[in-house]
Amino acid sequence: MNQPSEIADRDGPYLKIRNVTKRFGDFVALQDVNLDIRRGEFISFLGPSGCGKTTLLRAISGLDVQSAGSIEQDGRDISNLPVNQRDFGIVFQSYALFPNLKIKDNVGYGLVSAGKSRTEIKSRVAELLTMVGLADQAEKYPSQLSGGQQQRVSLARALALSPGLLLLDEPLSALDARVRARLRGEIRELQQRLGITTVMVTHDQEEALTMSDRIVVMSKGKIEQIGTPDEVYRSPASPFVADFIGRMNFIPGTLVSGTSADCKGAVLSFTTALTYVQGTPITICLRPEDIVVRDIASSSNAVDVEVGVMEFMGNHFATTLHVSGTHLNVSADLSMNDVRDLSIRPGSKVKAGLPADRLRVFSTT
Amino acid sequence: MSTAALEEPWATSSDRGAVAPVRQRMSRDDLTMRIVLLLLTGWLVITVLLPLGALLIKSFEGADGSFVGLSNFALFFANPSLTQSISNSLTIAIVSTIICVLLSFVFAYGLMRTCMPGRGIFRLISQVPLLAPSLLPAISLVYLFGNQGFAKSVMFGYSIYGPIGIVIGEVFWTFPHALIIMVTALSISDARLYEAASALKASPWRTFWTVTIPGARYGLISATFVVFTLVVTDFGVPKVIGGQYNVLATDIYKQVIGQQNFRMGAVVGLLLLLPAVFSFAIDQWVQRKQSAAMSSRAVAYEPKPDFVVDTAFLVICGLIATAILVVIFTALFASLATLWPYNLTPSFKNYDFDNMDGGGWQSFYNSLRVASLTAVFGTAIVFAGAYLMEKTRGFGAGRFVFQFLALLPLAVPGIVLGLGYIFFFNSTANPFNFIYGTTTILVVCTIAHFYSVAHLTAVTALKQIDQEIEVVSSSLRVPFYRTFFLVTLPVSLPAVLDIAMYLFVNALTTVSAVVFIYSSQTTLASIAVLNMDDAGDVAPAAAMAMTIFLAATFVRVVYTVLVRGVLGRTQAWRRR
Repeated sequence: MNQPSEIADRDGPYLKIRNVTKRFGDFVALQDVNLDIRRGEFISFLGPSGCGKTTLLRAISGLDVQSAGSIEQDGRDISNLPVNQRDFGIVFQSYALFPNLKIKDNVGYGLVSAGKSRTEIKSRVAELLTMVGLADQAEKYPSQLSGGQQQRVSLARALALSPGLLLLDEPLSALDARVRARLRGEIRELQQRLGITTVMVTHDQEEALTMSDRIVVMSKGKIEQIGTPDEVYRSPASPFVADFIGRMNFIPGTLVSGTSADCKGAVLSFTTALTYVQGTPITICLRPEDIVVRDIASSSNAVDVEVGVMEFMGNHFATTLHVSGTHLNVSADLSMNDVRDLSIRPGSKVKAGLPADRLRVFSTT
Repeated sequence: MSTAALEEPWATSSDRGAVAPVRQRMSRDDLTMRIVLLLLTGWLVITVLLPLGALLIKSFEGADGSFVGLSNFALFFANPSLTQSISNSLTIAIVSTIICVLLSFVFAYGLMRTCMPGRGIFRLISQVPLLAPSLLPAISLVYLFGNQGFAKSVMFGYSIYGPIGIVIGEVFWTFPHALIIMVTALSISDARLYEAASALKASPWRTFWTVTIPGARYGLISATFVVFTLVVTDFGVPKVIGGQYNVLATDIYKQVIGQQNFRMGAVVGLLLLLPAVFSFAIDQWVQRKQSAAMSSRAVAYEPKPDFVVDTAFLVICGLIATAILVVIFTALFASLATLWPYNLTPSFKNYDFDNMDGGGWQSFYNSLRVASLTAVFGTAIVFAGAYLMEKTRGFGAGRFVFQFLALLPLAVPGIVLGLGYIFFFNSTANPFNFIYGTTTILVVCTIAHFYSVAHLTAVTALKQIDQEIEVVSSSLRVPFYRTFFLVTLPVSLPAVLDIAMYLFVNALTTVSAVVFIYSSQTTLASIAVLNMDDAGDVAPAAAMAMTIFLAATFVRVVYTVLVRGVLGRTQAWRRR
């Protein structure tokens, strides 16, 4: 895996976003956003619709410049440059291929205006099409290709002028699940091979988690968290991030001590100490898959539970567990092995562990 | 937390107040597009807005050119014969509208919601009136029911010259316009609603009133106002068959051409602007409502064969289609008869235009010339304007003004526009005065007259193209005009050809705007029809109307064949 913190910042960040704010009338779409993107990094802007991720991408591309703030690319202030004086290639969800031009002419579109000779264009187009695995489709029209193929043509076209920055605007959202999964890997592999700095906008957490070096989680025009996929998933910086990425139990409770809380009758302890006074209302976040039903470590909050509804999900069971003697219910994902080996069925009484180091605690106030 | 270790700057933002607003620099593309859009805006200002302004000013002027306030209007309303025209116009328009909307609804229902045989042919016949000037049905009616008409007996002593004739003529002429709207309204219906209604055991009658009519209500409203406006502002039909029955549109003509009373003409012109502007506003409102009526998940309604219903509609639509054909063929036979109704021996005597008033065959050639120039230049201007309005980045105010000016002609009756042209271009103070009396002014006026529909066609076509191809081109540093000629224009070719055809046919058949601004060197065929009819040469008038009709039909057919060929070759990319 690529460890982003090990990529040396040769000469500062490649893309430097400072205090970027975007207003549409009274509506603030981006509020004072700051972000550094390193050379060669794959960054995803992730968030629900209306969170400002697309607005930020449009500011970077110059399609809709920010109301205030600055953007520097490779040491050059591009804040107020028009689109055609910036240096990026872009891929849209809709592919945006020229429908009346053959695949080779789509890919070579920018090369012609760049004043390249006919032979240069021909060899560059062939090279690009080979790169995306469509060398044999050059003479076809876009409508004769599948969605996944069209998106690869669009990618080849965006890379034709060897731009310093690649922008991907929900590139996989129009494709069906199987093609999406395959193209995900292909794009990431290509990006790493070329070492091109890439920004992708997506609302699909799986896409962001699998492709990115770092994820920028956004909500209501602000950045909620910036981190590697692992960090964002394991250590969400806010309940919003916790809720948006993956599935999550939100357990309300009140603080009993610095490291434990009373949650509807169950006292749960956690490892990160809080400095709030006793009685402070808090929310504990716990992923369903972190709940264990065997080999429960001593550091886990071991509780007796009764199994409620069990939904078969193919590779696991999504269950509801009721903590005996309390009013607490939690969702838990139990592996097929656990269910089989412990013969768990609705109504079963088992022991469950809510590992203390997996509990993330947020003050509710 | 690891996020802190990465030293993200997002936690350190305090100088919020210090940041200056960012203004994007204009690229050369942006600048070029804005300049060209401004030039085209200037074009619309000169060809639409200023003539209307001149008309407005004229209505407040006295005989000596001084400002007299509303006294011209006072004079108009004090004249009982002129105010009578208002009620006449309204009566004609209301009756014609009711009949036309009903007929077109039934006809459209037959086309869209039944399995009656011959729907393709019926559809074709229904569009035939568009290919003829509005004078043609009126002339045919004279031959059918006039003093020497062969079907005069069915009039039971009533005269065709007057309200009856006007109404029949207007219904014929406005029928295709209403039908197009009705067909659109009935084509957007969700089959699932009918399935739900039948599952709930609603009777066909109840289904019709609770599903069909509400679904088509915007079409009904829209058609009502379109027909009403067309009838109120048309002067071809009442001019030929109105007799002593005066309406507003013929009043303008009489005031201006007959009595040279331009100021009173301007007053009537402004009055005619009212229903048109009102109808335009309603139509805009309906368009907004209707676009939301069809969800993308709706299932298209497929009619099922039903012998009784299909036969009933076959009979009704057959009658309507027959009526249309009878009108056309009457004009054809009358023009070919040596002396109707006494000597029916076929001859081309009536087509010997060079020995008659009205400008002779030259006026027909003039018409073809004006129509061709209108099609070529009109299409170029309209499409370029629509493109720049859609694609220029930023410049919201400029684009809004352009959009307003482009839609304005829709609310201006041709006769009012033509009158405005006299006032504006005939003024010696106008630097464009030199085009007065030339072919150029006819072309310019005709483009302005039919601008809006062509503009809307272009905008619709442009909206169907992926909006992001311009962004991609820009990011590839390709100048906008290259993408325009390489992608946008070829992809929009079908719409471009449609616009050219629309402008050509309308330029050929229109009378209303150009009637005020032709000169003796630039007479047009449609005006020749009017003048020959005026001079009592009704058969030659019919012959000239038929010449126009045949020319329009010929061009239309050639166009269809050609388009099929051209599009087959250039649009190969549409096939999968």
